[in-house]
Amino acid sequence: MNNKYKILIVEDEVNISRFLTALLEANGYSVINANTAEKGHLMFTSHHPDLIVLDLGLPDKDGMCLLDEIRETSATPIIVLSARSDESDKVSALDKGANDYVTKPFGSQEFAARVRSILRSNRHSADEGKLPGGKFTSGDITIDYDARKFFVADNEIKLTQTEFNIMALLSEHFGKVLTYSFIAKEIWGYFDTGSIKKLQVNMANIRRKLSLEPGSGRYISNELGVGYRMHSD
Amino acid sequence: MNKTILKNIVHTALILIAAFFAALAIQNLLSAPRLVPAVFVLAVFLISLLTNGYIYGLLSALVSVLAVNFAFTFPFFEFNFTIQENAVSALIMIAVTAITCALTTKIKQHDALKAENEKEKMRANLLRAISHDLRTPLTAIYGSASTIADNYAVLKDEDKINMLIGIKEDSQWLIRMVENLLSVTRFDSPNVKLIKTSVVLEELIDSVLSKFHKRYPHVNVGLQIPKDFIAVSADPILIEQVLINLLENAVIHAKGMTKVNLNVFVLGSKAIFEVKDDGEGIAPEKFKTLFTTFSGASGDGEGKTHSMGIGLSVCATIIKAHNGALSAENCSEGGAVFRFSLDLEEEI
Repeated sequence: MNNKYKILIVEDEVNISRFLTALLEANGYSVINANTAEKGHLMFTSHHPDLIVLDLGLPDKDGMCLLDEIRETSATPIIVLSARSDESDKVSALDKGANDYVTKPFGSQEFAARVRSILRSNRHSADEGKLPGGKFTSGDITIDYDARKFFVADNEIKLTQTEFNIMALLSEHFGKVLTYSFIAKEIWGYFDTGSIKKLQVNMANIRRKLSLEPGSGRYISNELGVGYRMHSD
Repeated sequence: MNKTILKNIVHTALILIAAFFAALAIQNLLSAPRLVPAVFVLAVFLISLLTNGYIYGLLSALVSVLAVNFAFTFPFFEFNFTIQENAVSALIMIAVTAITCALTTKIKQHDALKAENEKEKMRANLLRAISHDLRTPLTAIYGSASTIADNYAVLKDEDKINMLIGIKEDSQWLIRMVENLLSVTRFDSPNVKLIKTSVVLEELIDSVLSKFHKRYPHVNVGLQIPKDFIAVSADPILIEQVLINLLENAVIHAKGMTKVNLNVFVLGSKAIFEVKDDGEGIAPEKFKTLFTTFSGASGDGEGKTHSMGIGLSVCATIIKAHNGALSAENCSEGGAVFRFSLDLEEEI
């Protein structure tokens, strides 16, 4: 019983938090609830949850503020829920340190998959995928960080410096959407008007080298207008 | 604003210059000086018609009177304000200007009003169709949910699960309709502008197909897109919605469809998108109202066929907001094809 993951849901809509609670408990997690940002912060500091599901539209203050407060002291993974479908909101939540973003309305399967993927990548952030000797594997992909080599099903794929850096970065944040600006700053050290195009061109080359057909849904997903995510299937 | 002023000035100048040379030609070649004022009256009339407001017409009337006085009446190339005829022709020209301007302003106002009415009518139709279309799934959801909640103990498990699946499906349909409506209202209000960004074709298609496969895992989509790196200038989320709507439309409405194709090719500075199915095609009588009626397939009265109306008119609105046009036709080899174009991103 004690080794269950503890998930804090900060959501004021009773119907939504009720179904999320039922869904997560059915998936074997233990769930605690808060219906205001203040209570959420309190429960976060007293219960140390493994994951926080945070609604942005809370009655007492903006969920973004709570996100900031939590990120000041902790790296606990956070999934943001929002009814706002604007891409700029997604980008700013992710840039403020949210691990993932789910837009209402969402399906139960999709949500459960996101939770699973984040807990998995977070639990293993020290070792999932990263094998001894500075390697990462997921599915067919193997990345040798030290030798700077990239393999798909044991075949080496020749990537340029930049392409390798992008894939290494995505793999280090496996399962998480990385925004264009985050990636550009990590790779080139700055973000300007040309950065997105430069990044898109590099990603196109990577897709070509990995022979990824559009719609195949393998390895990398495109979050249009937001960024990229490396995932497992 | 400055653009229209510039356009007005250019129009005025061009017409006046043309009139001046025409008058010179008439005077010198045909030696019919009485026609000269008529030429200028025509010029003033045209200017009043083509420009906005009174100012250009009045100015050109004044210029015309002076030009006739200066260049085309005795003594030539000298002003002479003693001739009564000039005063009369000036009055006539000013009258022509005033009347034409008043008329054109009225016509323009009338057109604007008509367009506004049209829009209002479309909105009313949309609202009516929505309330009608949403009522059916809402009734099913409400009915099933309350049946289960009130009779939980006596209902068979099988009935309960079937009703729950029905609730799930109907709400998924509602979600998609609401998404559609949201994106239409998103740029319908005048102060919300379409945010165009550089969208990589491959990424757009990848996202579209991934989402489409999730909803319709058994539908096979044939894909043909250019191999080169291509970016279009568009709002990615809206265009994604258009493509998903068109694909979904083929699945739901093209009877006898076995395959749907998504083709993209480059023509000049445009990317042409095509969604093509091999179903029964579109009935000829439906073409006229395909993108404008929201009540959709009111004729066949089959449950969810309504969604076609909303879906397609949403697509047409989105493409129009991108300065393109959505068109539909039947292919000679059977099936229907929906087509639209987007501007390619300019090279940086």
